[in-house]
Amino acid sequence: MDSIEGNILSVEKELIHSGEIVSNVELMVKNLSFYYGKTVALKNISFPIYREKVTAIIGPSGCGKSTLLRCFNRIFELYKEQKAEGEIIFRGTNILSRDVNLTMLRSKIGMIFQKPTPFPLSIYDNIAFGMKLYQKMSRSEIRERIEVALRKAALWDEVKDKLLEPATSLSGGQQQRLCIARAIAIEPEVLLMDEPASALDPIATAKIEELIEELSGKYTIVIVTHNMQQAARVSDYTAFLYLGELVEYSDTEKFFTNPKEKKSKEYLTGRFG
Amino acid sequence: MNKRHSILRRIYDYTFKTFATFFAFLAIFILGAILYEVLKRGSGAINFSFFFHLPKPPGEAGGGIANAIVGSFIVTFIASMIGIPIGVMSGIYSAEFGRGTSFSRYLKFSTEILSSVPSIVIGLFVYAVIVVPMKSFSTIAGALALSIITIPLIHGVTEEMLLMVPNTLREAGLALGVSYPFVVRKICLKSAKIGVITGILTAIARISGETAPLLFTSLNSPFFNFSLLKPMPTANVTIFNYAMSPYDDWRQIAWGASFLITVAILLLTILSRILFKRVKNG
Repeated sequence: MDSIEGNILSVEKELIHSGEIVSNVELMVKNLSFYYGKTVALKNISFPIYREKVTAIIGPSGCGKSTLLRCFNRIFELYKEQKAEGEIIFRGTNILSRDVNLTMLRSKIGMIFQKPTPFPLSIYDNIAFGMKLYQKMSRSEIRERIEVALRKAALWDEVKDKLLEPATSLSGGQQQRLCIARAIAIEPEVLLMDEPASALDPIATAKIEELIEELSGKYTIVIVTHNMQQAARVSDYTAFLYLGELVEYSDTEKFFTNPKEKKSKEYLTGRFG
Repeated sequence: MNKRHSILRRIYDYTFKTFATFFAFLAIFILGAILYEVLKRGSGAINFSFFFHLPKPPGEAGGGIANAIVGSFIVTFIASMIGIPIGVMSGIYSAEFGRGTSFSRYLKFSTEILSSVPSIVIGLFVYAVIVVPMKSFSTIAGALALSIITIPLIHGVTEEMLLMVPNTLREAGLALGVSYPFVVRKICLKSAKIGVITGILTAIARISGETAPLLFTSLNSPFFNFSLLKPMPTANVTIFNYAMSPYDDWRQIAWGASFLITVAILLLTILSRILFKRVKNG
């Protein structure tokens, strides 16, 4: 466990040195616990998420990895019986506190879901959907932003001639990249990805992974995956959860080549999960 | 297993299947018989004066039910204008804002009960609270009675269609930072739209055929009426009055009106079926 604590200690030191905002930590999870009614899903989790890096959250099904991801934009609040305790520090404020403006929070922290979630609108309107909310823009500006977002999501060439067609007419992989474009269009700093490729075929998956790599220099990415190879391929840091507890957090390379915890070793060698 | 046993079973299976098939055909046959009878007797009454003339007193030849046709449209239209917003909005509340609350459960229970109240009781209720105090049968009373019938139907279908919208879509909307009501309006209702419209058409088809709640609310009139506060002729009540009369002319017109209503409801139902197919096929 010393690796986690070591990391957190160094983060705390940085906190002290640089005042409110830590230079390279985007999100700091502190003593986070989560409840589905009375069932505990996350137990006292703490770890940092570094800016403009890819952090993978892995673990067997039901370990709480999606639950953890859903805390970062507080999307879990759609369901009344779900509750988070503890702190997640983002730019000096605890985003779990009541007085946080959810609209502002979610404009800074976007999310991509397991299954592609195109709205029953045109490709164009899907991307314009969130954008219009934040800024008054002329039609040409909106068009420009949509093109930029679609290019960043590596989808522009495939859809530039059919922007007004329904988004549901796209293939699964295209829909998922559309969702990424939609999230990017509102210019977030963090992208949360909840098993973004698990519903896709291998070719579409490869495209998404490529895209994640491209985006990682510009955005902080937190990706939940049950696919260990994927975590090893795309991430810089890895957090391994088991039964709601953070077993190990470290550099991805270190984690996969030389895990510290016995549980991590067992999981990596396929003894459970 | 001996041979006799298996023969018995086959006889049993065969008989069972035969009965099921027979009654299936019977069910279709009944509809066919109704349509045939209404078509045969009603089509004779359909002519220019049927659509464009006022009723004539018994004994005089000719005459039509122009006033009742217009009246039916007006009453159904006003009833829809009252029932649709109430049903749709309360359905939205149930499925979205009040989901899982105990109030929403009471609401569901209440609308279910409301939908099982006999329509004649609804008519009687409106008679007591509107017609009696206002001292007159009126268009608005009839429309109100019909709208009460539509509310639970439209409420139910709106709720059902919204519940079919996957939660992942709501989450995806919220994750972009928009408010929940905005997600409901722009995403959920958009997804549910055709289903809701289908339900509304079905509800309108249903009230187009209702007569009992109109008998002591809008009553009838031999003239055109465009006032909300006066008795209103409708095709349904005309059938009720004319079919029981001793005059051949009137009975002929009752068949004509039956024909008209049946065709109108048939068309509405087919339209909503076509729309519903589109919902199912996405």
